[in-house]
Amino acid sequence: MKQIVSALILSAAFLALAWGLRYAASIDMLSDETAKRAVMVLIGLGLAAYSNFTPKQIGRPGSPRAEALKQGLLRVSGWSMVLGGLAYAAIWAFAPIGIANPVAMAAVATALVVTLGYAIRTMAACRTIAAL
Amino acid sequence: MNTVFKALADPTRRKVLELLRQRPMSAGELSDHFAVSKPTMSAHFAVLREAGLIDAAKQGATITYRLKLSVLEDALLGFAQVFGIGAAPSEKTELQEGKSQ
Repeated sequence: MKQIVSALILSAAFLALAWGLRYAASIDMLSDETAKRAVMVLIGLGLAAYSNFTPKQIGRPGSPRAEALKQGLLRVSGWSMVLGGLAYAAIWAFAPIGIANPVAMAAVATALVVTLGYAIRTMAACRTIAAL
Repeated sequence: MNTVFKALADPTRRKVLELLRQRPMSAGELSDHFAVSKPTMSAHFAVLREAGLIDAAKQGATITYRLKLSVLEDALLGFAQVFGIGAAPSEKTELQEGKSQ
């Protein structure tokens, strides 16, 4: 319940900030490009901050081998998504606007592929353990 | 965050975290890697548990410790290992100080 509430508060803060930046752009306090970059940087930082806690979600203890596999998966997914989020934020902050979107998406997609690839590998290893 | 820095400042506790990176281990398995008394090791485990860096699960008479590091804490552990932070001070003194507080 606590996690849902904090996720909802974070989402609300993001929406409020995005709305505030849009409003600032509409009254010419910021350029459209700056407002867009700021929102995207915040999204990247939000992804990194949220993924930072992934390795802490260890759940209930299982068999020692399954625990080792689970721990490895949580660490790899946490690290890849944090780095993906930071790369997304850095690209939106510094890359030319014309290429920022595809390059930033590619960075997060790479992190997702790493996470999914490692998850598939871990699931295969778990099946092997179960079959023994 | 202060408890995390305190936990990571000690080389023995960092070594415990390094060992738990491989797999979850019982208190006995971890203690076998160190030439210190069991009460001292228990005090180290307590500091790590208090900082939220490890999780303890009791199964019968065995306590199994599992790693519970966030990515940031993992990175801090790496930095502390590379730069050898807190390598010199005596562990016993530090633990006694902690108990007296």
